[in-house]
Amino acid sequence: MSTSDGALLRVEGLRVYFPIKSGIILERHVGDVRAVDGVDFELRRGETLGLVGESGCGKTTTGRAIVRLYRPTAGSIRFDGQELAGLEGEALRRVRRQMQMIFQDPFASLNPRMTLGSIVKEPLTIHGIGSPKEREGRVRQLLEVVGLNPGFVNRYPHEFSGGQRQRIGVARALAVQPDLVVADEPISALDVSIQAQILNLLERLQGEFGLTYLFIAHDLSVVRHISDRVAVMYVGRIAEVASSRDIFLGPLHPYTVALLSAIPIPDPAVEARRRRIILKGDVPNPVAPPPGCRFHTRCWLRGRLGNPAECEAVDPRVRDLAAGHQVACHFAEQVDGSAEQRLVTGRGAPPASSPA
Amino acid sequence: MVLLSVADLEVRFHTADATVHAVNGVSFELEEGETLGLVGESGCGKSVTSLAIMRLLPQPAGRITGGTVTFRDAILTELPEDEMRDLRGKEIAMVFQDPMTSLNPVLTVGEQLTETLMAHRQMTRQQARARAVALLEMVGIPRPATRLGAYPHQFSGGMRQRVMIAMALALEPKVLIADEPTTALDVTIQAQILDLVRNLTADFGTAVILITHDLGVVAGMTGRVNVMYAGFVVETGTTAELFAHPRHPYTVGLLRSIPRLDDTRHEDLVPIEGQPPDMTVAPRGCPFAPRCAWREERCVAENPALEPVVPGTPIVTTGPGATHRAACWYPATDEEARHGAPLRAAGGAA
Repeated sequence: MSTSDGALLRVEGLRVYFPIKSGIILERHVGDVRAVDGVDFELRRGETLGLVGESGCGKTTTGRAIVRLYRPTAGSIRFDGQELAGLEGEALRRVRRQMQMIFQDPFASLNPRMTLGSIVKEPLTIHGIGSPKEREGRVRQLLEVVGLNPGFVNRYPHEFSGGQRQRIGVARALAVQPDLVVADEPISALDVSIQAQILNLLERLQGEFGLTYLFIAHDLSVVRHISDRVAVMYVGRIAEVASSRDIFLGPLHPYTVALLSAIPIPDPAVEARRRRIILKGDVPNPVAPPPGCRFHTRCWLRGRLGNPAECEAVDPRVRDLAAGHQVACHFAEQVDGSAEQRLVTGRGAPPASSPA
Repeated sequence: MVLLSVADLEVRFHTADATVHAVNGVSFELEEGETLGLVGESGCGKSVTSLAIMRLLPQPAGRITGGTVTFRDAILTELPEDEMRDLRGKEIAMVFQDPMTSLNPVLTVGEQLTETLMAHRQMTRQQARARAVALLEMVGIPRPATRLGAYPHQFSGGMRQRVMIAMALALEPKVLIADEPTTALDVTIQAQILDLVRNLTADFGTAVILITHDLGVVAGMTGRVNVMYAGFVVETGTTAELFAHPRHPYTVGLLRSIPRLDDTRHEDLVPIEGQPPDMTVAPRGCPFAPRCAWREERCVAENPALEPVVPGTPIVTTGPGATHRAACWYPATDEEARHGAPLRAAGGAA
């Protein structure tokens, strides 16, 4: 990986395995779900890195391992120069003050028996920040920042809509003034018309408080909108990392190309002229990932190249193909990203009578 | 030819402490072979409309309190239950969002498929089995003869949805209602399933009602679209026309509030302010007025009817020549639709 001094977080060789046990009395370890299986990336201070992929690709597990909700099986997580992988107890609690998480489901992630005020105040109490009176003031200020009426401090979560609850989740995450916020699918449980409210809020807060985001989502349109850089995951590995612009205008991993081509675009004229790469079959089971390249069982490029043996035999390493553009594919040079992208988005095709 | 006609449909749910005004006078028609999108957010009445058409509203809370649904010359809203049962699956079939809850977990896929064929088509077990194998093959299930003996949980989400589609199309219905058929699936699997639905319904000439919240799916799959909000159809037209020239502020809001994959300029999103409507309150005025940036006094008091956006245009309800209609007193202009907000002085017309 390229070195850079601005890295707030550097993840190297991260592995998170969940053991599969069998038997009732004598539990035997019969295998592992290799949710995250060797992931490297870095996150620079103040940027937003989008982590995308389909369900089971390990993106959520990666996010949770970083804030140490899971213990990594192997690998290193360096945050602001400090190794987190083996951290425990008080030392871990101190670090958590600098990293907070926003969860997907605003209905499940708020304690229904706590008032809005006590939910947002709890992190301040846990980390011993301020006097009780200062905390009250800070809670009101946080609620205003996220666009909630500070007069609502005594209400309970069920009295709020999904969008308002997600604002509560954001206020709670910001309470301790973290450097890094891991947002795991923060808008996918919300109605379409509410999603933009939360996206705009997250963008505004990043500017105001100099936050660094790891934004985990399956929706590439959203990720493209909010991220500076994007990492695409497939079956526990990173397939491609590049700037948001390069990922979308010149993808080099065949999986990224197929993924982009599968995203519906809300424009009938574009939909009519773009070409889709329909991948065959299902996402492989992370208990027994395919040998060699994990994507080879569904890869459209491999077929086009006459099924080279390398794809099945050799696990591709992540390579630098251009400045800041890394790809894990033996034949990425064969992907003309911009040409593929023109086809899959209908750009550059003869213009139909489409609106601007 | 018009196959299905929904007129002034009204559905209420009566619960212990409230009445939910789920569908509030919805009218539309569907002609042979066309694909109609019903688009809107959760609670807008799109799924309830389809359940009412099928007479599958949850009992006893859900009731059709007004209007009619007609399929060819049968008035479905008045049909005895045994005739309705005969019609379900054979004439109008449905695919649901979550295939796991709509397949019987204790019967094999083969048993469920052959049961349908034997009941409706008077086939022998052997004939039904052969047909079931052909159907599974048609929807792209590998080794179909072997897979007939498998239970639903032994299939992946995408494969289960293929099984559901095979079942829905088993009797070659005239109308297929697909309620968020790909919402629970990953995007590469969604592409497979949509491709399958598109090809099979074209082959069979099936008319489709596709219910979704995803405007991208609507853009790629449908010829015509109804935008629903708070139990009303607020805008309707051909998909091409409606996306190119949205007139209702809610449609404009939906289009401007989602990021587009092919947006290269990082356009700011324009969220729809406020919260989704409270459906337990009887509608008064325009249902979108509380959240509408174009709102005037009149909007709060009077609910506008669904009228042609070019006044005086004769109304065509189906097909590629369908009239673009919107239910709005002060519809957005093209320029406003691109901008996502009103560009006019308060007090009325543009």
